[in-house]
Amino acid sequence: MVDAITPNPSPPVRVLVEDNPGDVRLIVELLSAYSSQFRVDGQVTRLAEAEEAVERADVDLVLLDLSLPDSQGFETFERLLSHGRNVPILVLSGVDDESLALRMVHAGAQDYLVKGKFDAQLLARAMRYAIERNAAEQELAQEKNLLRSLLETMPDRIYFKDLESRFVRVNPAMALLFKINRPEDALGKTDFDFFLPEHAEPAYADEQEIIRTGIPMVDKVEKETLPDGRIGWALTTKLPLRDRAGRLIGTMGMSRDITRIKRIETELAAERNMLRSVIENIPDPIFVKDVHGRYLLDNEAHCRSLGRENREDVIGHDSADFFPPDEAAAFKADDDRVVATGKPMENHEECVPDPSGGRRWLLTTKAPIFNPETGVVERLVCIRRDITQTKEAQEKLKAANTDLSLALSNLKQASEQLRSIQLQLIEAEKMKSIGRLAAGVAHEVKNPLAIITMGVDYLEGLDTLDETQREILVEMRTAVKRADNVIRGLLDFSVPRQLEVTAARLTDIIEHSLLLVRGEMSGGQYSLTTEFEPDLPELRLDSMKVEQVFVNLITNAVHAMPEGGALTVRVYSKQLTGVGENLAGSAPEVFQVGDRVVVAEIDDTGSGIPEGKIGKIFDPFYTTKPTGKGTGLGLTVTRSIIDLHGGTIEITNRPEGGARATVMFRASS
Amino acid sequence: MDDEAGFTRLLKITLEGTKRYLVKEENDGSHALTTARQFRPDLILLDIVMPKVDGGDVARQIASDPILKAVKIIFLTAIVSAREAAGVGGIGGFPFMAKPVSLAALTAMIEQTLGPQQ
Repeated sequence: MVDAITPNPSPPVRVLVEDNPGDVRLIVELLSAYSSQFRVDGQVTRLAEAEEAVERADVDLVLLDLSLPDSQGFETFERLLSHGRNVPILVLSGVDDESLALRMVHAGAQDYLVKGKFDAQLLARAMRYAIERNAAEQELAQEKNLLRSLLETMPDRIYFKDLESRFVRVNPAMALLFKINRPEDALGKTDFDFFLPEHAEPAYADEQEIIRTGIPMVDKVEKETLPDGRIGWALTTKLPLRDRAGRLIGTMGMSRDITRIKRIETELAAERNMLRSVIENIPDPIFVKDVHGRYLLDNEAHCRSLGRENREDVIGHDSADFFPPDEAAAFKADDDRVVATGKPMENHEECVPDPSGGRRWLLTTKAPIFNPETGVVERLVCIRRDITQTKEAQEKLKAANTDLSLALSNLKQASEQLRSIQLQLIEAEKMKSIGRLAAGVAHEVKNPLAIITMGVDYLEGLDTLDETQREILVEMRTAVKRADNVIRGLLDFSVPRQLEVTAARLTDIIEHSLLLVRGEMSGGQYSLTTEFEPDLPELRLDSMKVEQVFVNLITNAVHAMPEGGALTVRVYSKQLTGVGENLAGSAPEVFQVGDRVVVAEIDDTGSGIPEGKIGKIFDPFYTTKPTGKGTGLGLTVTRSIIDLHGGTIEITNRPEGGARATVMFRASS
Repeated sequence: MDDEAGFTRLLKITLEGTKRYLVKEENDGSHALTTARQFRPDLILLDIVMPKVDGGDVARQIASDPILKAVKIIFLTAIVSAREAAGVGGIGGFPFMAKPVSLAALTAMIEQTLGPQQ
């Protein structure tokens, strides 16, 4: 009968026969007669040769006789097996010994055949089974080895549990955690035996849930608390455990100790929290922006400074969402510059609108944050300090300073004015003394002058005078007249310093003055032009004294043009604006901006006032006229009269030639 | 009437030199009324500033004297301004001339004051 096993189309099995030469020949014949499936590749008579062949792995099966010249019995088998090449060994023995056969098979022999008790078919079948079984065993052993290696060497804890969460198998790593000597010691026990309920209970619940649903639990972070006080963290995956038929028979799981990672994480979190709380608790606004100017992080103070309650209203936004376009653009420019240059902007003063109205002063520092790998600016960290109060104090100080210096300057001015008034008072006092003296002298001099005049008059009436005598008398009369003029001028100082003020038209007074001095103009070619503004306001004046003023001024003008010329008298009113030439003349303390004044100007076309003399023209006894023509008191008296009226007088040279006398009176309100 | 005797002496010479006036001098204000009553002038040239009795007082005495009240007065004074004269005692509307005065101006004023009676 042909063997039931289909001959294998694969290469023939290489067989090593190891026996005495007679038996070998028999076996070879048997096999070759039966099947081409087996090829006897070698036949050796000594164990050492067999060992070499196995070592070379050029055999698939060994037919081994236990009785060899260099080895006997069980030892022969053991020695060959010890080479561990997983070559199936079929023992051939001349001894039909059941117990030895069983011992051999237990030790790893595939079969035990008794010589003389097998035919070709039995041998071939035994050989095939041996090969098949050996292959299956090898595979299983491999599997078992893999699993064992995994369980034994894996530092992660691996465990299998039954439906009641009792350990079925744990690996050494788990035993280590449980502090048990052998993994087997855990069998039949549960988490409740090793952990505190704090961990055991949720773990049990998880496993029951997996058993109920069949759904795995993946990567759960578990806190493990052990009775001896150890606390650990594990990353655990638990899966349903099924038998080969697919029935759920328990759970299996793997836990990785992440206590160290967890601790680092906790430390990091603590550090982060500390930093966060530092940032939060700093009363100055702190914020971080990305390179596009969007807020990435900020603190309570910054959030509040933008007038927002929630971080979500700030994070991801940019300055334009909180500030007017101008400020936002300025901030963006600063940000861009720090990003572009990588240089911080330090203590930059900024004035920004406050969300609650008004403006606030900020001292801002912006610093770049570089990417540690690329060195490129990735972010900006900014810190602001509100310096509004300092700034306001500064401003107040500055204002106070300005006020002070203004006050000081006012004080100086007042002091100047006082000094000037003091000088004027001294001057006035001097004038009064001169006046009193003049009045006394005048009285004493006038009588002798009257006598001389009378005498000259008498002598001129005589018929007996010759030409020389008449000339002498004329000279005498002129001399008396001169003396009298001086006395009259001096006497003006003795006039009481009081005015008889009535409402008067300045133009009327000037018209009258012009009539009085008309005689002065008889000696030359004079033209007179009057430009009087109509409807001028009436002024409060002492008409007689003001008339004397204009008689003096017009007389001076005429005397300045001995050969003739153009006399122009102009009267107009104006409001003082303090702008340009529309000022209150040389006496700003007399008039104020806004005053309405009536101005009289007397222009001549004479030679003007010599340079350097213009400051002296109001001094007593100063005159530019030839001796005998003027007393040197005219302008002095003129000014004192104008001063009494609270007016001003100024005499200047006109650019086109000649002089201009400008008199101003305040229009009565 | 003037406390300045030199002046009254010259006035007498020049005015009488015109052959139209008869002049009586008086240099003491306190004698003014007595002298005037004796002389009975048509017009008195009266100084203002004089010791003892001044021109204003003399003018008031004459104006209130029953015999002399019609006598004309011209003030002739070294004081120049009317206001000053008023301060001294008032000139009561009498004409006023300031020294020094020319003969022509004086005689014109005298003629004007006396009017066309003589």
